[in-house]
Amino acid sequence: MIPTAKYRKRLLLLIALLSIAVALAWPRPAAEHVPLGEQQIVETEKPLVCVHTLLENEVQETKIKRSLQLTRELGASTIVQFFPWAYAEPAQGQYDWFHADRIIRHARRQGLRIIARLGLVPAWARPNQADTPTTLNFLPKDSFEDFARYAGAFAERYRDAIDAIIIWNEPNLSFEWGYRPVDPAAYVRLLRASYQRIKAANPDAQVLAGALAPTLEPTGSTAGLNEIDFLTEMYRAGAAAYFDALAIHTYGFRDPPAAEPAPERLNFRRAELLREIMIAQGDAEKPVLITESGWNDHPRWAAAVRPSQRSAYTIQAFKYAEANWLWLENLCIWALRYPADLLSYPDNFTLISADFSKKPIYFALQDYARGWERNENPWLPPPRKS
Amino acid sequence: MAATAAQELTLGKARFLAIPLAVALAAILAVVLIPPERTPTISSAFPAGEIIVGVDASFPPFALDDGETIAGLDIDLAHALAAELNLPVRIRNIGFYALHDALLSGQVDILVSALRIDPARMDDLRYAGSYFDNGLVLVTAAEDPVSDIKSLANSRIAYEYASSAEGQVRAWEEEGQSIARRPYELPEYALDALQLGLADAAIVDATTLRLYLGARHDWTARYEYITHEPYAIAVRIDRVDAWKLVDGAVSALQENGELARILDKWL
Repeated sequence: MIPTAKYRKRLLLLIALLSIAVALAWPRPAAEHVPLGEQQIVETEKPLVCVHTLLENEVQETKIKRSLQLTRELGASTIVQFFPWAYAEPAQGQYDWFHADRIIRHARRQGLRIIARLGLVPAWARPNQADTPTTLNFLPKDSFEDFARYAGAFAERYRDAIDAIIIWNEPNLSFEWGYRPVDPAAYVRLLRASYQRIKAANPDAQVLAGALAPTLEPTGSTAGLNEIDFLTEMYRAGAAAYFDALAIHTYGFRDPPAAEPAPERLNFRRAELLREIMIAQGDAEKPVLITESGWNDHPRWAAAVRPSQRSAYTIQAFKYAEANWLWLENLCIWALRYPADLLSYPDNFTLISADFSKKPIYFALQDYARGWERNENPWLPPPRKS
Repeated sequence: MAATAAQELTLGKARFLAIPLAVALAAILAVVLIPPERTPTISSAFPAGEIIVGVDASFPPFALDDGETIAGLDIDLAHALAAELNLPVRIRNIGFYALHDALLSGQVDILVSALRIDPARMDDLRYAGSYFDNGLVLVTAAEDPVSDIKSLANSRIAYEYASSAEGQVRAWEEEGQSIARRPYELPEYALDALQLGLADAAIVDATTLRLYLGARHDWTARYEYITHEPYAIAVRIDRVDAWKLVDGAVSALQENGELARILDKWL
């Protein structure tokens, strides 16, 4: 029998209705709901202690909460957390704050102060990828104002929860500047636009410039520019009026924390060289926040130390900063935890593993932050023939 | 409705014919739809006429840039691979964080950089030629072989404080194994303790053990792998020809003993 047109229409309608019914009845994962729990306070004796969390790519809310609980239990009262623009504004003018809200809600409930780092450019704010492939760190000059608008919207939305915002990350590295030659004057234009938007949204917010990476790259290098020259150039381009505090990254590499700083050497006290520039520029009143720091204990990486040294150096660094750097507001350890192991030396920067097991460095830092003195080494003396 | 005998005979014949017909149809479709296996050529795999190798030269003894030259096991392996493929080689020193980007953006052809096989990256790249296993090894004195961890109940196990070996010991304890822990500040101290009879076994990574034994020819030990961390060469997923040739070249280096010679030189 050849179906009539009327019959075919009815059949199609029936199929459509059945499809909708199946789609509605199909089992789907329930939205994860993790209770915030009771309001907590951080018990610490060392307010300098801070950790850099990496929750922007953490999908499971339980893991976000667990990470922040462990931060509180560590005795760190402050976190640095990245809030990617590309995630928050996937289409121009259309904000999606779902993930940021979730992180901030849990962090606040754990009693943590949040220093927000902003960056990562959405596709719509970059050149057409088919014509000009660029990385997510490529911010065209025409899009500076778009980024600033995001910074302002962020400051406005979280004005009761976040009072410190870092503009970009390591703009003195070409990798972080979209694989282009770094440009201190361009960065200052971005800083100025962002500063104005943030202050308009929340005059009390602290705008942080930087965060400058430790590197020895000379002028003209394709990889970047050392942070000493970069900061000098920033001041020359008029940066002073557009930031309230300087964010810097300083790693110990193989040196102990008390090792003397020098322009041609990367070590913990390199921060002092940047401080000297601030003083020379008449900016001594502004504080500094070290938003990334630490030692690595990978057994093969050339810039790593042994795990025993990592624990000792980290605590010595906090003690050194506490005693000598009155201009320092926070010293933040990179990093609390990665969402997944990278299977190489970066994994040995973390305090806890991706599976949440605490490393000995976590316990050492906890002892320090919470004032739990530990007087004996947790290892045996070198073996000797009896 | 039941079929008659004649109908059943007809259906049976039809079924009998249907099977070879389906097979023939599948074969025709396979010939038409599946491209024939192509033998990769050097020019299709490396059209630039050279191999550009990405390496993070901050990883001794696999690769280290001392400011003047880059040397190490991975560098020798890259040269041996290129020689096997009869191609010139160019080494590019790239930091770990940019290493995979360099491969995916075509700045380098392959990565030879003590890379552990990472399932999370397999949407973007293929691994060819696993050339070394840097897993943890359980080491005992040569005269005191250990078949498995259960035979070490209540034994003294030496390891480096806060290392992955300590993680392994703690995992065994959580499984109910009773162990007398002997943490030392350095992995070499753990092996010293074993050599001096202050421990019944030691746990270190395979690289540490090979370097230690290489410097102490008067001491022999037995070891068993207890975890596996194979290092392999990475090739971008769409560079199938390059992947096949590199994988074949590593196999050739294994068979002709060149890989063992390189490992012995550096480890």
